[in-house]
Amino acid sequence: MTRPDSDPSADNPFSTRYTRPGAIPFRFPPGSDADKLVEQLRCQGWRGAIVGPHGSGKSSLLAALIPAIRRAGKEVLLVELHDGQRRLPVDLEKGSGVFVCQADSAAQVGSQTKTPDPFSGVVIVDGYEQLSWWNRLRLRGVARRRRFGLLVTSHAPTSLPLLFRTATSLELAQAIVRSLLAGRPELVSPEQLAQRFELRQGDLRELLFDLYDLYEQRRH
Amino acid sequence: MNGPLVRIRFDGNGRVYRPGETLSGEYRIESVAPDEIKAVEVSVLWYTEGKGDEDLAVHSFWRVSAENGDRSDPPRPGRFSTVLPRSPLSYRGILVRIRWCVRVRVFLTRGREVMGELAFRLGDVPAARAAGNGHREAPSEKATLA
Amino acid sequence: MARNFRIVPKKRGNRSTGSKWWGRVIEASLSAAALAVGCVGLVIVLNRVVVPEWRTNHQFVEHRCTVLDARLGEQKTEDGTLCRPEIRIQYTVDGQKYVVWTYSKSWQYSSNRAVEQAILERYPLGPEYVCWYDPADPSVAVLVRGYSLWFWLTLAMPASFILIGGGGLLHVVMTWGKSAERRAAQAQRGSPLDLLDAERAGAGFPCVPAPASVTNSPGTTLSYRLPVVAASGWKLFAAMVACLGWNGIVALFACVAISGFLEGRPDWVLTLCVIPFAGVGVAIIVYAFRYLLLASAVGPTLVEVSEQPLYPGKRCEAFVSQTGRMRVNSLDVLLVCDEDATFHQGTNTRRESLRVVEQAVYHRVEFDLRHGVPFEARFPVEIPAGTMHSFKSDHNEIRWKILVKGEIAGRPSFVRSFPVIVCPAANGSNGKVNGQAS
Repeated sequence: MTRPDSDPSADNPFSTRYTRPGAIPFRFPPGSDADKLVEQLRCQGWRGAIVGPHGSGKSSLLAALIPAIRRAGKEVLLVELHDGQRRLPVDLEKGSGVFVCQADSAAQVGSQTKTPDPFSGVVIVDGYEQLSWWNRLRLRGVARRRRFGLLVTSHAPTSLPLLFRTATSLELAQAIVRSLLAGRPELVSPEQLAQRFELRQGDLRELLFDLYDLYEQRRH
Repeated sequence: MNGPLVRIRFDGNGRVYRPGETLSGEYRIESVAPDEIKAVEVSVLWYTEGKGDEDLAVHSFWRVSAENGDRSDPPRPGRFSTVLPRSPLSYRGILVRIRWCVRVRVFLTRGREVMGELAFRLGDVPAARAAGNGHREAPSEKATLA
Repeated sequence: MARNFRIVPKKRGNRSTGSKWWGRVIEASLSAAALAVGCVGLVIVLNRVVVPEWRTNHQFVEHRCTVLDARLGEQKTEDGTLCRPEIRIQYTVDGQKYVVWTYSKSWQYSSNRAVEQAILERYPLGPEYVCWYDPADPSVAVLVRGYSLWFWLTLAMPASFILIGGGGLLHVVMTWGKSAERRAAQAQRGSPLDLLDAERAGAGFPCVPAPASVTNSPGTTLSYRLPVVAASGWKLFAAMVACLGWNGIVALFACVAISGFLEGRPDWVLTLCVIPFAGVGVAIIVYAFRYLLLASAVGPTLVEVSEQPLYPGKRCEAFVSQTGRMRVNSLDVLLVCDEDATFHQGTNTRRESLRVVEQAVYHRVEFDLRHGVPFEARFPVEIPAGTMHSFKSDHNEIRWKILVKGEIAGRPSFVRSFPVIVCPAANGSNGKVNGQAS
């Protein structure tokens, strides 16, 4: 008899649906949380940068901050840059041309509602360093002129004030792997996990992909 | 009192279907008063899972909304029925999996939502295994500027 | 080698992976240019040909004239002498006498002297004939009216440009901005759903690539010729350009460095800088040479199949033809299935591929390929029962291919890939009946 797909053991706990930004809650350092960071962002004039290396949780932190920014009364427009995009896919110069979603989740470029009012919330650019220097300059200038906030992620410091510096640690990796496995048999020993963590130079994203492959090998 | 819950059941308790077969069943909304329900959405959909971004497509969709004058009566089960398509079949691969399910989403007052989901299989494709020496092309990644 | 260089990527062979946006822009620009050329041409044709001929046939006034003389007008060209009938007539309009050479409005030169001469013989001198004059300018008159072939040809040319350009622009406008949005987001907002992406519905199978993408070329031996995934010619061209460009610049600096040594004034900084660049240049030469060796010896590979699409558990016939001039150590044909997954994470795009089916369907060792004598083989191919059909969504794909791999004596090996479409079996059993392949 064929087992239906509802069998939990058929899931790979390291599938992207469980590990993508937002799926794993961001673990704030002690004494910090999303609302406090948003308060800090507000004190910085709604301008800030989240800086950190590959796979250190920048996008996950954004996913945690977006609801908090909305709770603080600001609309959010999220722009995710991929594949070496050197310019923004939306023209923020045209105030009334910005697409803003009125629903609970942050608006992403290309979503549905177009408001007649100039956008006055916070523009979040994930992958800021992919923009050319000219487009970065323009973006900062437009943000100042149009008076909307600007929060970016970057691998290196930018001219925007630092909001948070993300970093990974072996303890963090162990905690995340434990939460993903939740109830399943241990996949790797702590020593093996430490070795893989070092091999991937602290890149949590690549570590989780490795564990995906390992889980599949063990299952077969 | 328990929180709101959605239970789904397929007719004949079947979980494995062939293309072109009729998938039918019922759903029950428990621990919810009738006047708390704003709308109910029932979807028959497939989604991918694995190492790639999730893709998703809805095959059948129904919405029962209080705004349209349709009332949901929680004690009485709601019914759904659809003829399943010829593809894509359910698939248990290594990098890519394709799963079919029925998803019932209930929109309650005060912005609350509750969802229930029950998976089923379309077709009988066995689980895949890596071929031969497990030929795998190393992931190509377009990195950002360091 | 000429087949490897396609100026315009062919639908059945080269898969363009460039920017869709730029593709649309270029398509729109070309269509707009064709439309503009057609419109300008149409204006010219209307002004010079169509309107004058129409006026001749509808507005010229019928009259009587006398033929005074007749001759064959000649025009010397590079291809010879062309001629046309020229008839001198006399007529009076409103008391004014007119004497003009004429025949018809279009009055084209022709190379057929006999035909033109026969026309002249229809107008012997002396008798009166019917003619038509232009009331706006009575000095313009003709002996014959009607629409010539030239009229229709000149009208067809700009019309075709307008059709092509206008059709292309219309196509771009109607398809611009059409993107695959997540249908689930629409379902959750209660909007009507577009359940099937028509571009991907292959023969009524949602998310199965359309068989037309691989069946649009008929075969010469079997029913369908499969497209090859990539043409190697441009890679060779790029390698050659890189080789020449890089090594040319390095050679320039190397010459400067060497001349310094010869003149007793060595520039050690320049010399030390040139060395690593020269090393890279040598590597590029080796890389380009390997490609050249491969391209010069290995000709096109053709693969044809008797059926498309294919089904699990079903068998079809395949035909492979390989040309070239080389000693082949081994030639293998494989049927493979790959899973492809693309993940956009943060700012990176990650693509990974894994082979889940690999089946050898043909193997031949130790044979020679001679110029002009292709190697050919026919053999059965069976899609294993119980395997998954072809699948394509935005970020995930299951692809079936026929691979032709060759090991060549003294040269790099080659692999050529030919996509095939596998559809689900009609009853969803995926090729199995009572546990057996059907």
